[in-house]
Amino acid sequence: MKLFYCLLLIISPAAFAQKSVQGKVTDQKGNALPGANVFLKGTYDGGTTDANGVFAFKTSESDTVTLTASYVGFEVFEKKISLKESLAAMSIKLEELANELNTVVITAGAFEASDEKRMAMLKPLDIVTTAGAAADITGAMQFLPGAQRVGEQEGLFVRGGSGQETKIVIDGMIVQNPFFSSLPDVQSRGRFNPFMFKGTSFSTGGYSAQYGQALSSVLLLNTTDKISNNGLGISLNLANAGLNYDYANKNQSVSAVVYYGNLRPLFKLVKQNVEWIHAPEFKGSSLTYRWKPTKNGILKVYGMCSDSHLSMNSNDPASDTGKMRLVLKNNNAFTTSTYTDSWGDGRWTLNSGLSYSRNKDNMTYDGVNFDRFDERAQARIVLTRLLTGNNTILFGAEAHAITIGNGMDGAMYRLKDRYTAAFVESEIYITRQLAGRVGVRSEYSSVISRANIAPRLSFAYKTGRYSQFSLAAGQFYQNPDYRYLYLNKSLKFERADHLILNYQIIKNQRTFRVEAFYKNYAQLVREFTGEKYDADPYRFPWGNTNNGGDGYARGFDFFWRDQKSIKNLDYWVTYSFVDSKRLFQQFAQSATPTFISNHNISLITKKWFEKAKTNLSATYAFTSGRPYYNPNNDEFLKDRTPAVHNVSVQASKLQSIKGNLVIFYATVDNILNTRNVFTYRYTPDGQTRYAVGPQSYRSFFLGMQIMLSKKAKVEKDDF
Amino acid sequence: MKRLLTFTLLFALATGMAWAQNEKYTKAMTDGINALMAIDRSKPDAKSLQDIGNRFERIAAAEPKEWLPKYYAAYTNVLLGFVGATLTEKDQYLDKANALLKDAETIAGKPNDELEVLKAYQSQIHLAADPMNRWQNDGEKFQGFLQAAKSLNAENPRIYFLEGSSLFYTPDEYGGGKKVAKPILEKAQQKFNAYKPETAIHPDWGKMETEWMLSQTN
Repeated sequence: MKLFYCLLLIISPAAFAQKSVQGKVTDQKGNALPGANVFLKGTYDGGTTDANGVFAFKTSESDTVTLTASYVGFEVFEKKISLKESLAAMSIKLEELANELNTVVITAGAFEASDEKRMAMLKPLDIVTTAGAAADITGAMQFLPGAQRVGEQEGLFVRGGSGQETKIVIDGMIVQNPFFSSLPDVQSRGRFNPFMFKGTSFSTGGYSAQYGQALSSVLLLNTTDKISNNGLGISLNLANAGLNYDYANKNQSVSAVVYYGNLRPLFKLVKQNVEWIHAPEFKGSSLTYRWKPTKNGILKVYGMCSDSHLSMNSNDPASDTGKMRLVLKNNNAFTTSTYTDSWGDGRWTLNSGLSYSRNKDNMTYDGVNFDRFDERAQARIVLTRLLTGNNTILFGAEAHAITIGNGMDGAMYRLKDRYTAAFVESEIYITRQLAGRVGVRSEYSSVISRANIAPRLSFAYKTGRYSQFSLAAGQFYQNPDYRYLYLNKSLKFERADHLILNYQIIKNQRTFRVEAFYKNYAQLVREFTGEKYDADPYRFPWGNTNNGGDGYARGFDFFWRDQKSIKNLDYWVTYSFVDSKRLFQQFAQSATPTFISNHNISLITKKWFEKAKTNLSATYAFTSGRPYYNPNNDEFLKDRTPAVHNVSVQASKLQSIKGNLVIFYATVDNILNTRNVFTYRYTPDGQTRYAVGPQSYRSFFLGMQIMLSKKAKVEKDDF
Repeated sequence: MKRLLTFTLLFALATGMAWAQNEKYTKAMTDGINALMAIDRSKPDAKSLQDIGNRFERIAAAEPKEWLPKYYAAYTNVLLGFVGATLTEKDQYLDKANALLKDAETIAGKPNDELEVLKAYQSQIHLAADPMNRWQNDGEKFQGFLQAAKSLNAENPRIYFLEGSSLFYTPDEYGGGKKVAKPILEKAQQKFNAYKPETAIHPDWGKMETEWMLSQTN
C-alpha cells in the first residue's frame, strides 16, 4: 500500500496546487500586443492577452516548463521557467518578423505593376483600364513618371532617352521587335496583349545587372503561369476579330489565339489625317503551352507569328508632289521558352530560356524596294542562391546571335553580331532598414569586337513604417545604332551613367513618390557629313562616324495616387521634368534633341460604378513643346512646337448574357478634338513648313470580349 | 498477492492516466469547437475568434500527433482573415491559416478531403479580401481544391456548401446569384442531412450557413 501513497504523492501536487502565470506581451517598442497566445509548451495551459497585452492563467504544472508566446507576424518567443516557486509578472518582448512593412525594398528607378507584391504601385489591370492607353502596355507606361510622350514614334522615351534606349524584355528575354513595323510619323502599337502578363516592371534607370543593352530603361514583362478562363473566347471590335481558346488540366495548359484585323471600317468612321491606300490589314496567331513537371518547376513555351499589309501616301517634303507612296508588308515570328525551378526549400532558383525571333519588312517607297530583315536567337541562364537573412546572390549569362539586314532593290546588306554577357549580383540586407544591391555586368559584342564592364549599385533605407529613401547608380552600355555599323565597325559602345535618388511613402492606399536623377551620356556616335543638317528622320546615315558625342539629362518626377479618399474612385497624377542636351548624330553643337519635352503631366482617374458594373476612366495628358529643326533659324533646334493636350475617356461594362460573360468597351481619344502638332518639317528649299500630327484627331473605338464558358465559373469581380 | 495488487493498481493508474489524457484532449477540443460554433457568424468577434484560435494552437502544441487541433486553428484563422480590419491584417491571418494547414497535412500523412475543403475556403476568403486583383488566381485555386476534395470524398457536404456560397455571393451578371446557387445549396443540405462526422470533434460546420442561405433564396 505504501506505493499507492507514493503514487498519490506524485500526482497530488498537480491536482491541488495551481500556480498562476501572468505578465504582459509587447513589441520591441513596448506597444501592447492584444490577442497574443501565451502558453506552457506541451500542456493545455495558457491564455490570450487582452487589449492591454496582459495575460494571466493558471497551471497545475510544477516543474520547469517552456513558456511560449506567439503572435501573428512576430517571431515565436520561448523561455524556460521554473514553477517551483511562485512567479513574478513577466514582461515578454516579441520580435517582429520580416515583412513588407518593416523591411526595406530596393525601389529606385523601378515602377511595378504586380498582383503579388504589395509594394507595387500599379496592378496589371490598371494597364487595360487606363483611358488613352488603348490597352497597349507601352501606351500605359507613357503616363508613368519619367516617361516622355513622343506622338509620332513608337517606343518608350525615358528621362531624356530616345525610344531606342529602352529594351522590352519578356521573361528575361529581349524582344527584338516589340512594336508593329514602324511607319513614317505614325505611332505603332505593341505586339503583345497586356493580358498575357502577370507583372510589369518599368525601370526608369539604375536597373539591375541582369539586363543590358539599354542606355535608359528596361520594361520587364512577366508572363502568367496559368490560364484565366477555361474555354472559348471571342473578341470583336471595330478593327479586328479574334478567337481564343484555353484548356488546362492539372499540370498543363494551352492557350491558342487567332485573329484577323482590318482597319478599313474604323477609318471609314474616324477621319484620318493620313492618306491610306490600303488600310492596315493583319492576321496572326499565337500558342502558349505551360507544363509543371515538378513541384516548383514550370516550363512555358510561347510562339506567335503575324503578317501585315498596308499602303499609305505619307507626307514627304522632299518630293515634288509632297507625297510619297509607301507599301509595307511585314512577317514577324517570335518564340520564347523558359524554364524556372527551385530546389532546397527555395535556396536555389533557376531561370533559363531560349528565344528566337525573325522579322521581315518588304517596303517600297515610290516603287523603290527597301527591305528590312532581322533575326535574333538568344539563350539565358540565371541561378539565384538564397542566403541567410533573405540575402541573395545570383549569377547569370546570356548569348545572342543577331543578324540585321537592309536591302535596296534586291541587294541585301547584312550585319552579324554575337553578343554575350555575364553578370553577378547580390542583394544584401544589412539591417531590416538598410539594404543594398551590388552587381556587375560584362558584355562582349563581336560586331565591334569590344567588351565592357558595367557596375550597378542600389541602396535603400527605410525611414519609417511606410516610407523609404533609395539611391541607385550605375553604368549602362548599348551598341551603337546598327545602321552606323554598316560603314564603321570600329565604333565603341555608347554609355550612360545614372544617378537616382528616390523617396516614397505608401500608406493606406495612398502613394507618394518623388525621384530626382542625373544621367551622363558618353561615347555617343557623331556623324560628319560635311553638309547641312538633314532633318529627315528616315535618312540612312552615310557620313563618317566616331564616338565623340556626349550629353546629359537631369530632372525629377513625382507620382501621387489615391485610392482611398473617395469611394470607388482611383486617381493618380504624375509630373515629369527633364532638361537635356546632347552632342550626337549630325549635331554640330550640343542641343536639346527633338524627342525631349521638358514637362509631362498626366492625370488619370478611374471610377467603378457597382450598380451598372461599369468602369469609367478619364485621362488628361499634357506634353510641353518639343524642339524642331528650322533651317531658317540660325540657332540650331531653338524652335519649339506648341504643347500637346489630350483628354480621353474609356468605359467598360460587364454583362452576363445567357450565362456568358461579356465585356463591352468604348473609348474616345482626344475628346476635345485638339489639333495637336507633334513636330514640323520643312521642304528642302526651307520655304514651306509641314506639321506632323496624330493619325486622327478625335477618334473613337468600340469593342467587346465574350467569354463562352460551359459553366458560369466567373468570379465576383472581373475588374 | 500484494505484489499483484500493486501491479494491477499501477496498470490501472497508467491506463487511467492515458485515458484521462485522451479525455482531456476530447474535452478541450469539444470546448473549443462549442465556443467556435457559438460565435455569431454574421458578425464574428475578432477577439473571441483570436482566443479560440489560440486555444486550438495550444492543444496542437501539446498533441503533436493530432491533425484536428491544427485544422481548427487554421479554420479559426480563415474566419479571422474574413473579419480582419485591413488587407495586411487579413493576409497575415490567411498566411497563418495556410501554414497551419500545411502542418495538418504533414500530420495527417495522407490526402484528406476536409483539409482540401479548408484550403478552398482559405482561397475564397483570400479572394474576398481583394477581389479585383485576386479573382483570377484564387478563383482557380478554389476550384482546384474543391475538385481534389470531391475526388477524395464526394459526400463531404462542405464542398457543396462552398460551391453554393461562392455562387450565392457572385452577382447575377457574372453567372452567379441566389437562383443559380439554390440547387447546389439544396444538394449541400441533402449531404449535410446524410452526413455523420467520424467523431464528435471532426469537422461538422457549414450546415447552419447553408440553411441560412437557402432561406434567402426563396
